[in-house]
Amino acid sequence: MPDGALPVLDVKGLKVVFKTRGGEVHAVNSVSFDLKPGELLGVVGESGSGKSVTMMSLIGLLPSPPADVREGQVLFDGQDLLTCTPDTLRSIRGARIGFIFQDPMTSLNPVFNVGFQIMEPLRKHMKLSKAKAADRAVELLELVGIPDARRRLDDYPHQFSGGMRQRVMIAIALACDPQVLIADEPTTALDVTIQAQILELVRDLRRKLGMAIVWITHDLGVIAGIADRVMVMYGGQVVEQSPVKDLFRNPQHPYTRALLKTVPGVLGERPEKLNVIEGQPPILMAAPSACAFRDRCAFAMPRCAKENPARVQVGAGHDVACFWDPATNGPRNA
Amino acid sequence: MGRAMLDATNTQKTLVTVRGLKMYFPIHSGFLRRHTGDVKAVDGVSFDIYEGETLGLVGESGCGKSTCGRALIRLYEVTDGVVTINGKEIAKANPQDLRAMRPTMQMVFQDPQASLNPRMTLASIIGEPLIEHTKMTKAERQARIYELMDAVGLNRSFVNRYPHEFSGGQRQRIGIARALALNPKFIVCDEPIAALDVSIQAQVVNLLEELQARLGLTYLFISHDLSMVRHIADRVAVMYLGKVVELGPRDAIFADPLHPYTEALLSAVPEPDPSLENTRERIILKGDVPSPANPPKGCNFCTRCPKVMEMCRSIEPTYREVQPGRFLACHLYDQNNTSAGSTSGIEASQKHVQQGELQ
Repeated sequence: MPDGALPVLDVKGLKVVFKTRGGEVHAVNSVSFDLKPGELLGVVGESGSGKSVTMMSLIGLLPSPPADVREGQVLFDGQDLLTCTPDTLRSIRGARIGFIFQDPMTSLNPVFNVGFQIMEPLRKHMKLSKAKAADRAVELLELVGIPDARRRLDDYPHQFSGGMRQRVMIAIALACDPQVLIADEPTTALDVTIQAQILELVRDLRRKLGMAIVWITHDLGVIAGIADRVMVMYGGQVVEQSPVKDLFRNPQHPYTRALLKTVPGVLGERPEKLNVIEGQPPILMAAPSACAFRDRCAFAMPRCAKENPARVQVGAGHDVACFWDPATNGPRNA
Repeated sequence: MGRAMLDATNTQKTLVTVRGLKMYFPIHSGFLRRHTGDVKAVDGVSFDIYEGETLGLVGESGCGKSTCGRALIRLYEVTDGVVTINGKEIAKANPQDLRAMRPTMQMVFQDPQASLNPRMTLASIIGEPLIEHTKMTKAERQARIYELMDAVGLNRSFVNRYPHEFSGGQRQRIGIARALALNPKFIVCDEPIAALDVSIQAQVVNLLEELQARLGLTYLFISHDLSMVRHIADRVAVMYLGKVVELGPRDAIFADPLHPYTEALLSAVPEPDPSLENTRERIILKGDVPSPANPPKGCNFCTRCPKVMEMCRSIEPTYREVQPGRFLACHLYDQNNTSAGSTSGIEASQKHVQQGELQ
């Protein structure tokens, strides 16, 4: 990953609100991040932390209503995806930005064979003839490691196993050679041995194709093995962002620190008792006026209830949104 | 395999004994819906669970671990095999006897949303087993419900609320309170944390451990999350395609897995540490789990095993004790196996087998 390269995707101050009968839910609050060419950005957070909503709103995949993208800019190749025309967005989505969803069974259409589904973006976006598209589809299926590809084009999704279906999804997402691939919990529904296969495939594809990837997950183990940079989300906000090694070696935010301690591993020492983050994730019925984590935080200060901390730089490419400084165990000097 | 041999190395009291448990689901096909085959979800499983311990049962989805847990407390009519819990045979018991045995064995289900009736209040959910199985008065029942809610950390003021008013972690606490209502000895926990968030998982696991210490419970902890199993279990059984392929003490299994499947499974678990993660050697299994309706000939794992030998494709390995307390079904550890390539694992195993013989 070349340093200082222009980001392929630059998100600034994104804000998404859901209108529900019970009031407005502030799912994403002023999220900013960028994605450099060829980089793998891991996004971690619990369910409801806004990680999927952020990524889906980038390319207009949220139904509106109820969703409402209030503020922000999503710059992709100099264009703001939030203000561009639906036609422009359609020409980018699926072609230059690919998407892989969590559950490969519900995201593939059961009444079309997989050949049709892989060829669809090729014919729509790249205007390939049927025969050319079929050849490319076979190439793609071989690329993602599906044996006997030519024959399997005529098979339907139910004839594939879970891991194979996820490979098909990856093939569809890669069909038009995207610059950016957004993967939303792509291995969560899979078994560990199949997950290991898919992770190996993604490592291999990155070497071959070099696209930038956003990888959403709640599994810190997956992040450790695959990401270059990590963004931790909590309560609809980015609370910490850092190169992967730095995050695991020197976590700054109390949430990140607690999260790393609650997850047991299969190697190394086995703790007698698991560390627990007490309490529940916040319900985001109002725009944040204070730190969203303060009720569960062991280091909360009076200031945390009054102000929402902004992200401050703490190291090379490492920033955190917290008033507490682990180095001094006191307030952070701004 | 005799029972005497299984028990020889352990002085602890056995609470649950499972011998040759089989659970087949029939396949009916054709115009006449004739019985044309079976899905062999659990195919001859034997193990013991000692009193007060947690046996972790791990494996990939579809390997039969949940079916095994359910068949064990007879939520299914088992095809074959013997299960005794607390000295009483249960697999073939008649319905009246079975009903009397129910209070000793309970279950915590995976999805707390689906396993709680949305139209019952918390009090009626936790109180239902008390009405069914005890002769408590209303006041006694109320007292017991409060006691259970305290035990699992639910606020007493929630007693008249409905399941949808609770979060996932709280719902799982309700499920645990219901399972505890009748003072069971043995609880089958079927993926109790799989539907919960990481930070909530630890809360529930700690609760289960604390209750075990306080009430002397015995758990069968079914999970696909190996790192959590390593935390909670005393012994671990690994299932693959309807069979237990390896069983042993937790530390031994995680430090020195014998079966190639256990080894691959452990190496596939991503470790939350980038420096370890980048230096680890991964064993990536090829392909998928075969269908349990049509398992391969010989060893069930022969289609994906990185150390497969000729004999694995024709002869089924027997499940036996290869080291004190460690059970295994693999030809790599057959004592007169000289045809296999000389990997260090095999040499080590022959030493283990010899040790086993001395006993």
